Amino acid sequence: MFKKKFIYLLPILIFFIIHYLSVGVKAQDNFFPITFQDDLGVEVTLIKRPERIISSAPSNTEIIFALGLENKLVGRTDFCNYPQEVAEIESIGLMSPINLEKIISLEPDLILSFGGFQAKDIPRLRELGYKVLVIEAESLAEMLHSIELIATACGITEKGRELITYLQERISTITNLSRNIPESKKPRVFTGSSYETIWSPGNGTLFHELITLAGGWNIVGNKQGWVPISPELVAQAEPDIIIVPSGIMNPEEINKIKRDIINRPGWSRLPAIKNNRIFTVNEDLFYRAGPRLVDGLELLYEIFHKTGTE
Amino acid sequence: MMNNTESNPIISLENVTFSYSSQPVLQEVNLSIPQGKFIGIIGPNGSGKTTMLKLISGILTPQKGVIKIFQQDIRKISRKKIAQIISMVPQESYITYNYKVKEVVFMGRIPYINQWKGEALLDYQISREAMEKTDSLIYAEKGIHQISGGEMQRVYIARALAQSPKILMLDEFATHLDLNYKYEIIKILRDSLQEEVQCIISVFHDLNLASYCSDQLILLNKGRIEKIGTPHEVINLQTLEKVYRTRTHIIKHPKLSIPQVLI
Amino acid sequence: MKSFIKPAQNKLYGYSNWRYKALFIIIFGFCVILVIGFIALNFGTIAIEPKKILSIIWQHKTDDSLGLIIWELRIPRLIMAMLTGMTLACVGGSFQGILRNPLADPYILGVSAGAALGACSVIALQYITGLYLIPILPIFALVGAFISISLVYLLSRKKSHLPMTDLLLAGVAVNFFFSAIITLLLAISRREIHSMVLWLMGDLSTASWQKVFLIVFPVFLGTMLLISSSLELNAMALGEEEALHLGVQTERLRLKIFFIGSVMIAIVVSFTGLIGFVGLVIPHIARLMVGPDHRIMLPVSALAGSIFLIICDTIARSIIAPTEIPIGAITALVGAPIFIHLLKRRNEHDE
Repeated sequence: MFKKKFIYLLPILIFFIIHYLSVGVKAQDNFFPITFQDDLGVEVTLIKRPERIISSAPSNTEIIFALGLENKLVGRTDFCNYPQEVAEIESIGLMSPINLEKIISLEPDLILSFGGFQAKDIPRLRELGYKVLVIEAESLAEMLHSIELIATACGITEKGRELITYLQERISTITNLSRNIPESKKPRVFTGSSYETIWSPGNGTLFHELITLAGGWNIVGNKQGWVPISPELVAQAEPDIIIVPSGIMNPEEINKIKRDIINRPGWSRLPAIKNNRIFTVNEDLFYRAGPRLVDGLELLYEIFHKTGTE
Repeated sequence: MMNNTESNPIISLENVTFSYSSQPVLQEVNLSIPQGKFIGIIGPNGSGKTTMLKLISGILTPQKGVIKIFQQDIRKISRKKIAQIISMVPQESYITYNYKVKEVVFMGRIPYINQWKGEALLDYQISREAMEKTDSLIYAEKGIHQISGGEMQRVYIARALAQSPKILMLDEFATHLDLNYKYEIIKILRDSLQEEVQCIISVFHDLNLASYCSDQLILLNKGRIEKIGTPHEVINLQTLEKVYRTRTHIIKHPKLSIPQVLI
Repeated sequence: MKSFIKPAQNKLYGYSNWRYKALFIIIFGFCVILVIGFIALNFGTIAIEPKKILSIIWQHKTDDSLGLIIWELRIPRLIMAMLTGMTLACVGGSFQGILRNPLADPYILGVSAGAALGACSVIALQYITGLYLIPILPIFALVGAFISISLVYLLSRKKSHLPMTDLLLAGVAVNFFFSAIITLLLAISRREIHSMVLWLMGDLSTASWQKVFLIVFPVFLGTMLLISSSLELNAMALGEEEALHLGVQTERLRLKIFFIGSVMIAIVVSFTGLIGFVGLVIPHIARLMVGPDHRIMLPVSALAGSIFLIICDTIARSIIAPTEIPIGAITALVGAPIFIHLLKRRNEHDE
């Protein structure tokens, strides 16, 4: 008896399945082709949903994974290291120069690239007929826009909006908390390397934005972009906290870096050193314009306001 | 003689004045050179000897006056045509790349060779003959940087002869030559006067050599022609003292009865 | 005092038939280019079998990714290397002839500085304005090159003459001046310094058929025109005055070589950046091989330059693939030992 009813249900079931499948397909057809602008203002038209995506920047790779598109990713760079699953995807090598042959051999239908030093290879890729989106984000807002751009290009605007909303909520939480902190209570923050020339991020950089939003006061905030500064300037500014990024861009051994900072002539009186408030952070959270910027923001807030001495 | 215009002088300078900057190097020079003679130009340093050579060959243009070659104004003749008439043996020059001797001599044929048609057998023949005449054939395959100064001088002369000139000009050709070669070359030069060359003009520093070689001498002093004539006429005590400001002794060569200057 | 004279050989009075020699060398050179070119096509990040390469070339297949790699990436790059090497070596040899200076290279008369300034300005401009300017970089480089060529010409011109030392000095002065500006640009553009330096060191990776078609005609025409001045360049080697006495119009020759050479270099450099060493040393290698007669030396220079640059480019992009070593470094590393070896052999030969 049970089986009989089931047999009646079957055609209905099949009908519904077919209906939804076709609706789903039609929905996809209605979405593509689409035309939009990338971050360099170039118009890109995608005729159909991308199925083979290559990312030539770690930030784009992380966004792809965050959007759940990793099954469509066929190529990534050697520098893409998050999340762990990225190791299963074939690497196209370095970020610059881009390995054109490798890219061609992977037969992508969408390439998510970076601006800056990759810019010279992009015309070549476009000449060869490939769809290239240049993503260049230099602020939190631009990073969120990148997510929207990539989501739109892949036909999953809803998922994109979800992710953006989620990230925005976390950002708002932090900014609301730090808004209430009076100026005087904001820790003076210095971040930079321990090399001969100290490069520190000024106004307009991602790092500076995160420091400020997390309720800190960047001692080089009055300068533009990444600037070389002198040790005297740091000594004069008397930072309360020193943030040491470590990773590929700063490969030296962490303890050595800390020792170098503590032993720098003229810095022994810095509050950060006296109170031993020197923190190492994973630079990927601060240099990459991907979703983990928000992780970095939260980390900074922790460091600034939830820690005394380490 | 020289200042009288003989019929059809080969070279004539009419009232020529030339200066490099503000000081005139040659002033109001009038000269006509007839055919078939070996002419020597002598004078103290700075008197304008080399400048005169360059004016005649058309490298320099006088500010005033006219220079005529075979009665034609030199300004109206193309560089290439001039090169087919006049060839010059420089005092010394530096050849940038290590061409072979035979290639250097062959370059004397350039005024006659069309770049696209290329050279003819005749060009090779003339080059070889020029080397034979100057006894430089044995060096034909050697690089120009590998031979001595004297040998190089002969190669330059060979090149100048290969140019089939009607007027051959030399600027102190004997500087690096050994004793025997000095007179060999002079013999070759005089021989060529019997053939196609119609006039030889040479600048001399050595008065005795000038006296030996030349049919006529032009003595320059401070940009003007001091005296023109046979060696006998030009080389005398008063003239030399005036021009060179030094006393000399002039003797007659025991065999050749030409004046020779001794200090 | 006539010395023993050898009997004339094959009616040429001791001279060799240089035309047959030149023709043979040119044909041989082209064959070498074809062979080396094919070998070069085998190198790259994606391994493709020689048989497959042959079939792709024969059938002109571009529908699959391998065909695309061969026809759109490797072959244009190969041709670009060939044309660039040819230009640099031929112009270098001509400049060495006209300036009577064995240390002259194609960049000595100021072309490179202007092109470099044009290119670096575009890179800096793109960073400042955020506009997408990279595709028009070659135009800027070309304009820059023409500005520096004109500057050198105007500086060295005296009335209607073009004296040689002034040309050289003007070229050096313009080079210094523009290089100073470039150094300034490099110092203030932190983010773009990478792109600028890569361009300055020479880069054939952006080669495409479009670019090849743009430069192929000027390169061949220019090379023909330069080679046609061989006899006069030979005369120049004797000296400026000597050349005049041989009927060469040295002023006009200088102008001709300067303009033709500079324009050729400007066009090539706009697309490839500054590749050094080739224009300086390949002509010397050619001279060591066939002698300084420009009628053979210039064509051999052109061929040797092509072969040399094809080899260097292949090394540059394969040795530590996928990283590309700047080709300027490879030309120096490969060329210097060859040059020293040839010099030593010549010195021994002359002893």
